[in-house]
Amino acid sequence: MQSKSFDVVVVGSGIAGLTAAAAAARQSLRVALISTGPGSIALGAGWLKAEPMGPAAEAAELSEALAFFCETSRLAGCPLMGDIDRPRPMPNYLGSFESVAFAPQRLWNAGGDGMASTVIVGIRGLSIFDENFMAERLNERVRVAGSPYAYKARQIALSHDFGTPSTVLQIGLCFDRDPAFRAELMAALRTAASGFERILLPGILGLHSSEWMLAQVEAELGCSVCEIPTLPPSILGLRLFHRLQSYLHSNGVELFAGFPAQRLLLRDGMCAGVEVTAPGHPMTLRGESVVLATGRRSAPLLNEPIAGCDAHMRPISSAGDLLAQNLFLAGTLAHSGLGHPGDTMRILSGYRAGTFAATTRGAYAS
Amino acid sequence: MLGANPEYPGPKRLGPELERLRREGVPTDTDWLEYCLGCHRCDLACPHQVGVSEMIAHAKARHRKTLIRALRDWWFARPGLIGKLSTILPALSNFGLAMKPARLVMSIFMRITPLRSFPKYKWDKGRKSAAAAGDRPRVLLFPGCSIRYNEPDLGHKIVELLERNGFSAEVAATECCGVPATANGQSGVARSLARANVKLLSAQVEAGVRIVTACSSCGHRIKTAFGGVLDEDQALGPKARKIAESTFDLAELLMEQSDAGKLDTGFQTTNLRLAYHAPCHQKSQGIGRPWFHLLRQIPGVTVEDLDAGCCGISGTFGFKQEKYGASMAVGKPLFDGIRAAAPEFVTTECATCQMQIEHGTALKTIHPAEVLLRAYRPAGQEAGSDSVRQNEPAPVG
Repeated sequence: MQSKSFDVVVVGSGIAGLTAAAAAARQSLRVALISTGPGSIALGAGWLKAEPMGPAAEAAELSEALAFFCETSRLAGCPLMGDIDRPRPMPNYLGSFESVAFAPQRLWNAGGDGMASTVIVGIRGLSIFDENFMAERLNERVRVAGSPYAYKARQIALSHDFGTPSTVLQIGLCFDRDPAFRAELMAALRTAASGFERILLPGILGLHSSEWMLAQVEAELGCSVCEIPTLPPSILGLRLFHRLQSYLHSNGVELFAGFPAQRLLLRDGMCAGVEVTAPGHPMTLRGESVVLATGRRSAPLLNEPIAGCDAHMRPISSAGDLLAQNLFLAGTLAHSGLGHPGDTMRILSGYRAGTFAATTRGAYAS
Repeated sequence: MLGANPEYPGPKRLGPELERLRREGVPTDTDWLEYCLGCHRCDLACPHQVGVSEMIAHAKARHRKTLIRALRDWWFARPGLIGKLSTILPALSNFGLAMKPARLVMSIFMRITPLRSFPKYKWDKGRKSAAAAGDRPRVLLFPGCSIRYNEPDLGHKIVELLERNGFSAEVAATECCGVPATANGQSGVARSLARANVKLLSAQVEAGVRIVTACSSCGHRIKTAFGGVLDEDQALGPKARKIAESTFDLAELLMEQSDAGKLDTGFQTTNLRLAYHAPCHQKSQGIGRPWFHLLRQIPGVTVEDLDAGCCGISGTFGFKQEKYGASMAVGKPLFDGIRAAAPEFVTTECATCQMQIEHGTALKTIHPAEVLLRAYRPAGQEAGSDSVRQNEPAPVG
C-alpha cells in the first residue's frame, strides 16, 4: 500500500475542509486531511448561525449539504439539528440573542425563553461568564414579553484550585479526566438546579463528551441542561471539532496535522499533489484530486490570482483558464467574490468540492 | 500537561507571553517552566507556525533552580556522559543503580524518584559481519544514547533491517543529540553537543550518505538542525541544516522503500495483537504514521494506533521526584488506552516512552524495528510456510 498516495487530498481542517473530507470518505476512498492547528470550527460556538443565503438556485443543494453535515455530526456523536429556513433566537453568554439555524440538543434547550423555570449557574472564579449579568439582561426581555417565569442566577463554588480567574478550558479538561472533579461538579449543579425545570451553564461539560454522555448528565440532574458557548475557544466549538476529527480518523481518513502545505504540485493542467513543510525535508502527498480549503491566507499557493470557480468548484484564472483539472476549492477561498461567507456556505462549498473531487478522479470534465 | 494539570499556565503563556515580557525586561521566571515536556505539540497546534517550544526552551535556559534540582539536572542533561561512565563497568553500574540504599540516597540528595528503574547499561560487543556495500545507498545510523549505551544490540538489528532492505548501513559513533540538555535548561551543553555531532557527521553527509534515526527524539532534534542552536554559527549552521535535510526516521526510510515497491516483504504469518504508540517527537517530524503502515504489512498482525497523547515521561522529566506524579497523570489516558486495547505487547520507537509504558501498564514494550525483523522468514525459508507466533516476551513490572 502506498502510504503517501491518496484518492483525495484535502488541505485545511476548517468546516469546509472537514465537510469535504467527510464527503470524499463516505465513498470509501483513501483520503488525506492536512491541517495546521484546529480550524475555524474549533473557534466557533458549536452552532451554525442563520446567514444570508446564496443564489436561490443553490437552495436545494444547500439543504442537501447541510443534511449531510448534520448526519456526519450525528455519526460523530455530537448531532447538530435545526432548519435553515427556521432560525431561532438563542441566548449568548452576554444575555443577548443570536439567530441560530443549527445547534446541538443542549443548546436548543436554551431557546424558548419564558417557557420554563430556569436557573443560570455560574462558577466562582470563572472568567467571562457572569450569571447575574446574563439573568438581568434575559429578564428584561421576559418582562417585555410578559412571561410568568423569570431567570434566577446562582453560583457554585468548587474545591479545585485552578487559580483566579479560571477558564472554561481548565474546567472542561478536568471534567474530561477527573472523575472526582466531575462528581463534585455534578453534586453542586444538582443542588443549584433543584426546583427548576431548566439549568443554563457555561459550556464546560468536556472537550470530548458525546451526546450520550451529555444525556447522562441531564438525566443525573433531572432537568434540561443548556450549555452556553463562551468566547473562543469555547468548549462547544472544540468539542464539535474533536469529535468530527476523530470520526474522520476512525473512518480511514489519514490525518497529517501540524504542518502547512507549502506548494501545490501544479503541472500540465493537473495538480499531482501537495508538498507539506516538515522539519528537515518536505513531505509530498500525492492525490488523484486535491481540495484546497485553507482560507484566503493561502491563496498564494495557487500561484496566480483567480477570478472564481467553475461549476465543479475548480479555480479559474483571471485569463479564464482552468488552473488544474483535478484541483477544487472549498471554504473562503471558493467564495472570493462574496466577502466573508458564513458557515453554511462553507459547508456547501466543502460538500461540493469533496463530492466532485471524489467522483471525477481520473475522468475530468473540461 | 494542561490536561493532567489544569493549573499549568500552558504553552501560550510560558512561551510567547513570557518571551515578550522578558524582552521588555520584566521579571518572568516561574517554576512552571520546568513542567514543559518539550513534546512540541504546541508547535503543531499553532495555525501560524509560531515556534512556541523554542521560546519556552529559551526561558528554561534562563530559569533559576534550587541547588539540589540544579545539580540533578546537570547530570540529567548529560546522558552521554552517564552512559560513557556506566559502560566502563556496566555490571557494577547496573548493580549500583538498582540498589535500594543507593536509590534512597539519590531520592534524598538528588530528588530522583526511587519509584522507577534506571535502564540497564550494556557493553557493545560489536557486530560479527557486515554485508558488502556494493552500490547500495549508504546510510549511517545515529544511535542516540539509548542504543549506544543501553541497547547496542538493537543498533545492530536495525543495521540488519536496513541491509535486508537494500541499504549499506553502519552505526555512527556520535554524541548525545542534545534533547536532554535543552529539556534541562543547559543550552551551552546542547550547543557543544550539536557542534561535536555536526563535525562527526558533516563529511559523510557531504559525500551523499543519509543519516537514519531510530529514536524519534534524536530524529526530531537533528531534523530541526539540532533545535536551531547553531543558527548563528557561520561555519557550522549551514552544515547542521544540510545534515537536517539528509536525516530520515528509520520508518520513513523503510516506508519510502515500501512505496517504491522495494521493501523486503518476506514476512511469515505472525498472529499477534499489537498496540502502537506514536511518540510526540515522531508526530512532530511531520512524516505521517510510517511504523503503523509498516507493521500492518506483516500478515496476521493487527495493530491498534493508540493515539492517546503523550506518555508523560519526557525523557528525564519522569525521573524527577517532584514531577513523578505529573508524569504519570499525563500518561494515564495512554495507559487506559493500552488496557482497553489489551494487546499482547506494545510497540513504540522511543526508549523512554517504552520505559513509561512498561512502568504504567506492566506490559512488555519493544521497538517496532524488532517486531519487523522478527517477522521475517529465516533466510532460505519459502513463502507459505507455517504461521508462527512470535516468542512472547515475558511481562515485566
